[in-house]
Formats: sequence, structure tokens, C-alpha cells
Amino acid sequence: MNVIEIKNLTKMYGKARGIENVSFNVEEGEIFGFIGPNGAGKSTTIRTLLSLIYPTSGSAAIFGKDIITAAPEIKKDIGYLPSEVFYYDNMKVIDLLKYSASFYKKDCTKRIRELAEIMELDLTKKIDDLSLGNKKKVGIVQGLLHEPKLIILDEPTSGLDPLMQQKFFDLLEKENKKGATILFSSHILSEVQRLCDRVAIIKDGRIVTVEKISTLKENTYKKFKVETKSEIGMEHFNVEGVNQLEKDGSTISFLFRGNINSIMKKIAEIEIANIWVEEPDLEEIFMHYYERED
Amino acid sequence: MNMFLHELKAYRKSTIVWTLSLVALVILFLSMFPSFSKDAEEFKKLLEGFPVEVRKAIGLSIDSIATLLGFYSYAFLYLKLAGAIQAMNLGTSILSKESREKTADFLLTKPVTRKQVVTAKVMAALVSLILTNIVFIMLSFVMASIVAGDEFSKKVFFLLSITLFFIQLMFLALGIIISVIFPKIKSVISVSLGTVFGFFMLGMISSTTDDKALRYLTPFYYFDSAYIVKNTGYENSFLVTGIILIIAAVAASYYLYAKKDVHSV
Repeated sequence: MNVIEIKNLTKMYGKARGIENVSFNVEEGEIFGFIGPNGAGKSTTIRTLLSLIYPTSGSAAIFGKDIITAAPEIKKDIGYLPSEVFYYDNMKVIDLLKYSASFYKKDCTKRIRELAEIMELDLTKKIDDLSLGNKKKVGIVQGLLHEPKLIILDEPTSGLDPLMQQKFFDLLEKENKKGATILFSSHILSEVQRLCDRVAIIKDGRIVTVEKISTLKENTYKKFKVETKSEIGMEHFNVEGVNQLEKDGSTISFLFRGNINSIMKKIAEIEIANIWVEEPDLEEIFMHYYERED
Repeated sequence: MNMFLHELKAYRKSTIVWTLSLVALVILFLSMFPSFSKDAEEFKKLLEGFPVEVRKAIGLSIDSIATLLGFYSYAFLYLKLAGAIQAMNLGTSILSKESREKTADFLLTKPVTRKQVVTAKVMAALVSLILTNIVFIMLSFVMASIVAGDEFSKKVFFLLSITLFFIQLMFLALGIIISVIFPKIKSVISVSLGTVFGFFMLGMISSTTDDKALRYLTPFYYFDSAYIVKNTGYENSFLVTGIILIIAAVAASYYLYAKKDVHSV
């Protein structure tokens, strides 16, 4: 079953592009990543799903219901964490969370305590006095306190230290195991890779691809940089799967895609001084997808 | 209901401050009345020295200034000014506050319709104004009874006092529609002060000419105190226009707020 179904969703800001013909589905129970650089249209898509903004054309459904006409009903089961959180400054954390809970017809007191404990959030403080990271925690607790069936996160990790990020991811995984579907937007590939089953890649307002993380990994390049003891010709590496072969003195760099063993054998044939193997960053993955598109 | 109570709580402080200020102002004005009425003839002579236009602009009527109702009408111009600022502040801030403090994302991703959000906020503002007016009118009555030498018409006094509420409703509605059309208001106070004083000046100008059409443009002069004192009632054409304007502004606000895109800031 699809929890989110997006069909040809387009949003224009006057003549400026927001998103164009975005279509993808998120299945029940999966953690779905939504990645792209800043300004690609991630937030626009998410805000449209939450009917904070209205689409120019196209449609989308959550839990099988239209996002506009059934908005209030859908939102009973959605937890949302915006990328920037600024909650009613002159309130205490607990008062804000209680206010948030008052919108859902269930008792969330116990859950608030639980979440606050996991995230190490002081409930008695004023929101005014909190650091950015702690405000983010308020946002996380606020988004999860009613045990939503769908959790939508818009760049949730900014401002959280690595330790908290880990706790937060554990929390999300736990919610996911309990049955929650998660839509997770980010511009950091590694966090998406770690958590998500599938991803949609968006660039310039269009979906470039929707793939399983495992497929994406198989298909992506690895960056190799080899420093040789003696200068050798770069033809040595001119084999299948190698791209963008470059030589700078005794350093040879290239991108490789394919069976990793074959390239390792090639490297073993020569004397090397040093080697770097890197995962491509997001930009490079995009480039990869653009090359394929053209 | 939760939103309504939350909003009401948010305005608690400002409502108390404004109510106290209005009450202090009316007490101050009315406490001057006894000494004023004692030397009424002197004052009248002095005031006659003012050009007619100036007297009209500041709402002075020499014939009635020595009576409690006349004096109150004169003072009321400034009470209306203060009350208008309170209402305009409320109206301008209730919807623009959400985008300024970036809390729109919080509220509008909850299982509520935008209409419910507007209703809760408008009702909270309305209740704040009603509370202000109840306290204001009660204490005005008490003060008036203390300072009035002779009997005065309680009905006219009430009719005069309650115009504060009507004027506040107009400015509240105006503030709300402004905040929907210009959601990115950085400073509520400058917008509301500017608008209120603009209308106030316009009102002064309109009262120096006897152009009735100009009066329709400024909420301050919808309720002419001389007329109220004389007829113990309001001018229907202005009352109806006022009500229509309020309903139109609020209805338009509902419509626009339900349709608009809420952008992240």
C-alpha cells in the first residue's frame, strides 16, 4: 500500500520554478529518502504535501486521501519536523508540547516524558533560552508525541550533534519498526544511505531518479586516487568502468564503477605510495545521473 | 478551543496594559471636569479665541463643553485614538505573528482547518476587546457619577462609551485584512500607529469641512458625539456602513487566508 502518492505535482512561484511534474510513491512501512541540493524543491514538495502551499497542477494523496480536501483529517496521523524551528518564544517547553498534544485526541503525557528523556530535553526551560540544537529537540518531540503513522522530516539533523543525531536515528528506526512510514529529506547522502530503504533524487525541481539505496550504491562511482612510486602512464588504468581518468605528476585519479575486484587487481600490479578511495559526494552522484539522462 | 485559549493567553498581558491605560486616561480626563465646569465661562471665552477650524478639528464644541456629556465627548476623541491603536495592534498581529515567529508551520500542520485557525484568533481578539470595554465602561460610569455635579443621561453616556467598541471592531477588522495581505509585517506597531494616525488626521480634516462623504473614510467620525447627545442614538447610514465594512474585511480575510501559500521564512 502507498502511504504517499504524488502525481505530476507542479508548483510555480509566479514564473519561477518550484517543482515540475514530481511523481513518486512512498510505501507503507518504509523509510524513504528525499535528497537533492539546496533549492532543488525538497521543501516545496514537502510543504505541498502538508498543504502549507497549494500546487499549481497535479495532485497527491496521503493515506489514500487528497492532500487538499482531506488535509485536517490526514494531519491527525502526520508528524512533521520543519528544517527551521522557532516555537512560541515566551513559552516553556512543556507548555508548548502540551499545546501541541492538545490538537490530538489522545493522552500524550507519557510519550512526552519518554521522548524528552531519550532526547535529553529539559522540559522546564523556556524555549527562548534554548540553543538551536535544543530547539530542534523540541521540534522532534513535538513531531513524534502523538505517535504518527507518517513522519515527515525536512532536513532534520542540522544543529544536532553527532551523538544526538545517532539517538534521533535510533528513535526513528524504532518508530519505523512499530509501523511508522518516514519521509526524510536531506542534502547529506550519508545520513540518507544509513537510514533509508529507497530514495528519490531531485534536482532543479524535477525528480531525477527513484532508486533503492542498494541499487544506487551498486551504480555509483567510487573515487580513486593513486600515488605511484615511479611515474607510470595512465593507460594502465584505462579499463572498462573507469571514467574521468586524470594524471597529475605521480598521482592518478579516476572514477570507477563496476566490479571492485578487477580494479583492485590493476592497482596491485603497480608499486603505489598511497591510495585514497572515496564515496562520491552527492554532487558527483547527480553528475552521474545527468550524464545518463543526456 | 485549545487554540482560542492559547491565543487569549498570549494577549493577556497586552489586554491588561491597554485596559489599564484606557481607564487611567478616562479617570484623568473626568477628574479635570469639576474644576473645569467651575470656571466654564472663563474657558469658553478663552476657547472662543481659537479659530473655528481648530475647534472643529480637535472636536471642541463651546456650547456643550461645560456639560459632563459634552466634556466627555471631547475627551473621548483621545480615548478613541488609544482604543483604535489597541485594536489595530491586535488585528495586525494575530495572523502576521505566525509568519514572523515562524510558528505557522507548527499550527498549520496540526489537524485543523485554516478557517478554524482564523476563527480561534479572531474570537480571542474579540474577547480581549470585550473585556477591555466592560472594564472601561464600568469604571467610566463610576468616575462620571463621582464628578458629575448634576444628573446626566446614563443612556447617552453609555451610547457614547460603547462607540469605543465599535471603532475598535473596525480597526480590528482593518488590521486583520492588512495582516493577511501583507503577511511579512516586520513591526506591527509601526503599521498600526501609521494607519491609526493617518485615519485620525483624515478625521480632523474631514471635521473642519462639512463634507459628509469624507466622514465615511475615517472610522473615528462614524459616531458623531454631538448627534448622539442630541438624538440619543446613532446615524443609521454610518452604523450600517460600519457593519458592512467589518463583515467584508473579515470575510475577505477568511477567504484569503484559506487560499494563500504559507512560505517558510
